[in-house]
Amino acid sequence: MAYTPQFYPGSTSVGINRRKHMSGNLEKLRDIPEADVVAIMGHRAPGADYSSTHPPLKEMGEPDCPIRQIVTPTAGAAAGDRVRYSQWTDSMYFAPAIPYWRSYWGAINCKGCDPGTLSGRQIIEARERDIEAYTKAQYDSEMTDVALCSMRGCTVHGHSLRLEENGMQFDMLSRTEMGADGNVYGIKDQVGIPLDRKINLGKPMSEAEAKKRTTIFRADGVPMCGKVGARKYDEAVDALHHMWELRSKWGFRPE
Amino acid sequence: MVTTSDTESIQVEITPSRYLMPATAQRLLNEIFGNGGIIRITIHGPNLPRSVPYGPGRGAPIAENRDLLIEVAGQAFELCVKVGRIRLELENETFLPGLKAACERALPFTFQMKRGKFFHTRQTITDYAKYGKVEDTRILGLIDPRAKKDRMAVLSEVQVTIDDKEER
Repeated sequence: MAYTPQFYPGSTSVGINRRKHMSGNLEKLRDIPEADVVAIMGHRAPGADYSSTHPPLKEMGEPDCPIRQIVTPTAGAAAGDRVRYSQWTDSMYFAPAIPYWRSYWGAINCKGCDPGTLSGRQIIEARERDIEAYTKAQYDSEMTDVALCSMRGCTVHGHSLRLEENGMQFDMLSRTEMGADGNVYGIKDQVGIPLDRKINLGKPMSEAEAKKRTTIFRADGVPMCGKVGARKYDEAVDALHHMWELRSKWGFRPE
Repeated sequence: MVTTSDTESIQVEITPSRYLMPATAQRLLNEIFGNGGIIRITIHGPNLPRSVPYGPGRGAPIAENRDLLIEVAGQAFELCVKVGRIRLELENETFLPGLKAACERALPFTFQMKRGKFFHTRQTITDYAKYGKVEDTRILGLIDPRAKKDRMAVLSEVQVTIDDKEER
């Protein structure tokens, strides 16, 4: 029987969503044009050439190395692109993704990337044309709700603050705005430099929808222990206790 | 048994469940003012800079954070923060039910109202370093200790003082 990775335990909706994020088996909710994603990232003008740090690998004449023969380089690495980043901030108010799960998604599903997890933000670094593809995948999938998640290269605070009146995550630099038509528009790139046009990111999720798709355990949403008052805790807690036990007791081996 | 006097001033903190847009903040503050009995009041929330403070886009203007003028009790002033919390001191407890009703009228969502002590009564070292000896003790607790001195805006019945010369 073929092995199927299990990724994450638990039968709560959050556990199921976490498994979806890690497996990369995500629903596509929107299709933001590649040029728009590139504009929001702000590293190069849409259509401009990629800057490079070395010549294409084919021209470089690589050394005879068995690992290089086994591993196919990504498109960005083969072309010698610069390493660029995209950084996300997800609201604690039931955003679909959280920094750890963006990192798990990146580490498991994205080749040649370097995810960095912080308390309120999550950064992925990769070769430029690779990171553009990974960022577009994040934008288009259910990992992102355009009101509760936004790409922020700097001044990321907002994830732990209350939402604004219109349901948007607070942003000191106002990189996104809620339009009169109910769509969210990107008006600045990820570091706060105004764009030459407004980018339509689509409609945000309703509160119920965000709670359905979230990967955040919350006492006022889905608690980590599972159903309140149930005879048995959810498997996620059992697994967590098990890992804690292994780390605490047998991780400590003074010899 | 401890008995409390209903003639002493009380301090209240109002925390709406969302950050307020300038129009809602103006409506709420005017409702609170209409209720009367205010000795002092301060608004609190995250800073709204006028230009990107750091990063690759440093210095780029943030047009959305400029000219956020609101008019409260006939006095116009510019918001420098996203209003998230209001702390005030009332003359006595009799104004409290009216305050709650004012918040219910002005806010389209839930809010929390807490009684407690929110303004300090003695000068801190920061207060002293910035302002010297503060004569009017009502100002204590209204000043953001981390704000620059020229950023302070104090509204009183006499005049409005807004010292905000530099664009940041």
